[in-house]
Amino acid sequence: MSFDELEHTADLRLRVRGATLEEIFAEAGRAIFQAMYGRCKDRGVERRIELEAENLESLLFDYLSELLFITDVENLVFCTFDVQIKGTGLTAVLGGEPFDPDRHSGGTLIKGVSYSGLEIRREEEGYVVEIILDV
Amino acid sequence: MLAGINRVGDLEWEIPIGYVPGMRVPGRFFLSEALAETLEEGAVRQVANVATMPGIVKHSLAMPDIHWGYGFPIGGVAAFDMTEGVISPGGVGFDINCGVRLITTPLTRADLAGKRRELIERLFAAIPTGVGAKSSLRISNKDLTRVMVDGARWAVERGFGTEADLARCEAEGAMSGADPDAVSSKARQRGVPQLGTLGAGNHFLEVQAVREILDPAAAETFGLKEGQVCFMVHCGSRGLGHQVATDHLRNLEAALSKYRIHLPDRQLACAPIDSPEGRGYYGGMVCAANYAWANRQVIMHEARNVFAKLFGIEYDEMQPVYDVAHNVAKFERHEIDGRLTEVCVHRKGATRAFGPKTLEIPREYAAVGQPVIIPGSMGTPSYLLCGTTTAMQKTWGSTCHGAGRVLSRSKVKKEVLGRDVREQLAGEGIVVRAHSDAAIAEEAPQAYKPSQEVVRVVHEAGLSAIVARLEPLGVIKG
Repeated sequence: MSFDELEHTADLRLRVRGATLEEIFAEAGRAIFQAMYGRCKDRGVERRIELEAENLESLLFDYLSELLFITDVENLVFCTFDVQIKGTGLTAVLGGEPFDPDRHSGGTLIKGVSYSGLEIRREEEGYVVEIILDV
Repeated sequence: MLAGINRVGDLEWEIPIGYVPGMRVPGRFFLSEALAETLEEGAVRQVANVATMPGIVKHSLAMPDIHWGYGFPIGGVAAFDMTEGVISPGGVGFDINCGVRLITTPLTRADLAGKRRELIERLFAAIPTGVGAKSSLRISNKDLTRVMVDGARWAVERGFGTEADLARCEAEGAMSGADPDAVSSKARQRGVPQLGTLGAGNHFLEVQAVREILDPAAAETFGLKEGQVCFMVHCGSRGLGHQVATDHLRNLEAALSKYRIHLPDRQLACAPIDSPEGRGYYGGMVCAANYAWANRQVIMHEARNVFAKLFGIEYDEMQPVYDVAHNVAKFERHEIDGRLTEVCVHRKGATRAFGPKTLEIPREYAAVGQPVIIPGSMGTPSYLLCGTTTAMQKTWGSTCHGAGRVLSRSKVKKEVLGRDVREQLAGEGIVVRAHSDAAIAEEAPQAYKPSQEVVRVVHEAGLSAIVARLEPLGVIKG
């Protein structure tokens, strides 16, 4: 599993790959936290998310938007993402630490998740998705 | 220039119907030969995609700071018929009413001698900036409702400014039509702790000096003199606006099939203006826009206090020239085929530029047109312009909002080090303060088109007229 930053003039465009759907959801979460905060260590803070959507793309939109909401409101930075997907429902357990301005303020603020080109594709070796995030 | 695009004037280009399937009107954008090299196919396609939206009137437009975004391009402008047309969060963006405000001071460059660094440090200490920044302001949920309805007026009533400030804001600092019920509890939770914070990315507070006056009469009307120190605040509606956009985008995306709307890009998700989903988005967007005006009002207040204390000047000696919105959809009356007609104008990364004698601008500016504020990029000049009659005729009274990016954040970070940018700007006498050098690198002047050229295009195309050029002295970055 991996993520790459692709060229985009104004915003953050990521390509995320994973052998399973769970992996691309986990990796997309890791990517946005890395962009926003840089370093992160699991210091025992845990949060759980449960979501249901009408299709996988909307589920990914909701999941990433929920991560942005939690970090903004609770001042938490996550680095582990244990995601389970059943149909178009998701359970995720997030692990991380409290925001620390000395360690975490060097990143890029992500404002939202766009639907532009958002399509989860099945390829020979797994799944791939491209995501444009407003920064 | 890209294949399939026609030149229709010295600085005006047309994307014909058919450039992408389903276009209802042509695309139009404004660019010089020099800037044409920076034009991206992705941005042109986005102008064309907007032209497929139901009820779009005349043209899908883009200003000379056009660049590739999502949904609408950045620099995108479109008007929609009130009956047949739609409203879309993709035409506004996540940072609802991201905007800019210019404030004059009685100081001159000489007054800042030896104090410039201290001024920037004090501003940086007074105004929460960057990722994770929280406000020292404590507001209740009830206060937040008032903020969403009353905008900058709420801030003034709480002592963050004066009554006179309100007249110097687009929409007098509060659009009508706010619907607090269209703002989710999540958006509220994000809004409460962030009022009075600058944010991150391209947001900033910059101290500037008026370098050159190009239109003395208009400059006098706007209260600007050569050598005068000013400051500029660029920020938006913070997490509250981001959440309103996220919530309603999701809603509208799910509603597309209900209204049988087919679009080439789901980020253009929209609903008829007069539908439950459309009204819901509009009411929530107005709340976020009003929050943004209150936010800039509070930040301006804090900055005024810093200036007053450091230089021994009076609070009232610092007056806003104007406050303009960049990312907003508004119901406006424009002349179409000789008749004044109400339309819903979306501006995403574009500035309103209403010309002389339009009703919605401050009375004292009526003869000149509204002030238009075009920020530079730390190392490049900013401009004060005024709206024009040509803009009213060609672009629904709109112009560019900035220089427009040419390099992605990742590319510019590979090419330059934040420390080098900071030191280079310091060598030019510009003090930059941010939480990290990476944030400075992302916003390095070379990531943007030259502001001088972008402003020249809008001036020569007649979309706004240059009044004054301001040079940067110091900046705090989000």
